[in-house]
Amino acid sequence: MKLAYYPGCVAQESGKELDMATRWVCRALGIELVGFPSFSCCGSGFMDEANEVLNVALNARNLAIAEKAGLDLLTICSTCQGMLSLANVRLNDPTVKGRVDAALKPLGIEYRGTAKVKHLLRVLTEDVGLDAIKAKVVRPLSGLKVGAFYGCHLLRPADEMNWESGEEPHAFEDLLAAVGATPVYYRGRVMCCGFPIQFVKPATAERISARQIDDAKAHGADAMATPCPLCHISLDGYQNQAAKAAGHRLDMPVFHLPQVVGLALGATAEELGLPRHMVPTDGALAKIGSKAVA
Amino acid sequence: MSIAEERLLAFAEEKLVTVPFDVYRYDPARGGQPRYQHYELRLAPHTPVLTGLLRIRDEIDPTLALRYSCRSAICGSCAMLVNSKSRLACKTPVGPEVKEHGRIVIDPMRNQPILRDLVVDQQPFWNRYEQMEPHLILDPKRPMPKDGPTRMSPTEVERFKETPRCISCAACYSACPAVEADPEFPGPMALAKLYRFVVDPRDGATQARLQKIQTNGLWLCLRCHLCTEACPKEVRPSERIRDLKELAVEAQGGTEPGSRHAIGFLKNIESAGTLNELKLVRQTSGLGGLVAALPQGVRMWRKKPEITKSPHPIEGIDEVKKIYEALDGKKKGKE
Repeated sequence: MKLAYYPGCVAQESGKELDMATRWVCRALGIELVGFPSFSCCGSGFMDEANEVLNVALNARNLAIAEKAGLDLLTICSTCQGMLSLANVRLNDPTVKGRVDAALKPLGIEYRGTAKVKHLLRVLTEDVGLDAIKAKVVRPLSGLKVGAFYGCHLLRPADEMNWESGEEPHAFEDLLAAVGATPVYYRGRVMCCGFPIQFVKPATAERISARQIDDAKAHGADAMATPCPLCHISLDGYQNQAAKAAGHRLDMPVFHLPQVVGLALGATAEELGLPRHMVPTDGALAKIGSKAVA
Repeated sequence: MSIAEERLLAFAEEKLVTVPFDVYRYDPARGGQPRYQHYELRLAPHTPVLTGLLRIRDEIDPTLALRYSCRSAICGSCAMLVNSKSRLACKTPVGPEVKEHGRIVIDPMRNQPILRDLVVDQQPFWNRYEQMEPHLILDPKRPMPKDGPTRMSPTEVERFKETPRCISCAACYSACPAVEADPEFPGPMALAKLYRFVVDPRDGATQARLQKIQTNGLWLCLRCHLCTEACPKEVRPSERIRDLKELAVEAQGGTEPGSRHAIGFLKNIESAGTLNELKLVRQTSGLGGLVAALPQGVRMWRKKPEITKSPHPIEGIDEVKKIYEALDGKKKGKE
C-alpha cells in the first residue's frame, strides 16, 4: 500500500513523536509513505473561519498534488482529515468551485476531485484490517484500559465525513481491542478537547479538557489515546493547566494513536517518542510490562 | 403502489420486538435521589421513542412527566436524551437504538435545570435567545412598503434557507460542550438565529449585531459540530456559526482574541505555507500574551525544542502566495 503522507504542521513540530510513531508503524505494516514537501497547512479550522474560499483553494492545491501523483492522502490528525475532506465537500458548490478554479488555473493547477483523504485510523481498521494487525502483535497491551479520544473533525459533520457515526463511533475501540488493550467507553470520547479556544479563553478550554480526562478516569481508564495531535496538545501538553482548572490532579498519560499500535507491535518507548510527552507514560507502560521511560 | 402505501405495508409486516426502556425519574417536590425506572414494551422497530413513552405513561405509569405536543417533529417540545444523544423523541425510532445498545436509556436534556422526570426548565435557553434580539430591526433605507409585502430576491433568501427550519427544540443547546462549560456562550440555536438576521437584507442592524456578538461569546464556539448531529431539522448550527464568524471577521475583525486568532492563523500560513507555532501566540495574544505564556512555553520547550524554530517555507510557497493574492483581496483586520 502506497499513500501520499500528509503529516500536518504539529506532527512536524511540537508533536514530532506522532510522526516518528506513524513512520515506525507504517514500516512495520508495509505501508509506503510518499512525502511531498510542497503540502501546505490544512488551515486547522481557524483559517476556514477567516476566509472559507481561500482555505478551500489551499486544500484543493494539496489534494491536486496527491491526485497528480495518483495517490490517496494519509492524514494523522483529526483536524487535517476534517479540513481536507471538507474541501472535497465544499468544491461541490459551483460558486466555491468557480472561485477556487479561477485562483488555481493561472498557476497551472487543476484539481479534478478524485483524491481520497484517509486518516490512519481508517487505513488501519479498513485497509490493513484488524486481523492483519492482530497477527503482528508481539506485546499485547493486556490489562491496559484505554479511553479512545476521537477528535471532533475526524467524525463530524458525519454526513460529510462519510465514515463512522458522529456520536457513537467504534473504529478506535475495535483497534484498541485488536492490540490487546481494554477499550473504555465514556461520553467524553467524542467530545471537544477544548483546543479551538485555548487562545481565546484558556480557562474554559482547560475546564473542557479536564472534564473529558476526568470522565475517562471515572470509567476506569489507565490512559487515553487520540488520533489528533491538537487534542494531544490539550490533553497532554496543557494537562497541568487543566488540572489547575479542575482543582485536582489528573495524572493521565495520553498516547497518540500510532504509539498504542507501535507498542503492541514491539517498538520501544524511544522509537515512539514517548519521552517527549509532558505527562509521563511510565505507569501505563509498567502495566503492559514494557521498559519505563526516563 | 405509492411510496406511502409501500411504507405502510412494510410497517404492517414488521415483527414486534421487546424494547427495554430505562427512564430517568426525579421529582424534587418529593425529595429523594434521581433513579432509572425500567419498563418493557413490545413495539414495532419503526415506532418513535415518544410513542413508547406515551404508552408507558398511559398504560403502565401515569406519574411519568414529559413534554410533547405535535408528535410530528414540528413543535420542538419532546427533545430529550435517547441513549445519551440529544434527540426529538418523536423522530427517533426505537429499532436502531435497541439494535445498537440493547435497550433505550432516556434522560432529560443536558445543560438545563431538571424540573421533574424528563421536563427541564427552558428559561435560560430562551433568555439567551432573546439576548440576540431575534426580530427584524428594519433598515430605514429599505422601509416596509405600505401597499404590500417587502420582497427579497431568491439569492438573498438562499443565504438563510436553513435557519427558518429551526423549531427551537434546544437539542443543540443540550448537546453543546461550550454551553456546558461557559455561561457566556449563547448556544448554537441563538447564534444560528442571529446569523439569520445578520444576512437578512431587510435588517439594518447588521454591524451592531456583529459587534455585539464578537465580544459576547461568538468565538467560544468549539466547532465540534455536536449541534449539527443533534439538530433534527438540518439547520446545521455549527456551519451557521462559522458563516457568522467569517462575517464578523470581514466587518470588524481583530477586535478580540477569537477573531485575532483566526486572522493570525490566516496570515501565519501565508509566509511559509506551514504553521509557526510561536508566532501564532504573539499574533493572537500580543506581546503581553507571549510573556504570559512563557512559563508553559519553557516547560514544553524542554521536551519539544522544535516549538521555537521557524519552519522552512514549503516548496511552491509562491503558489500559496498567489492563491492568497487571488482570494484574500480584502486585507482583513489589523495585524
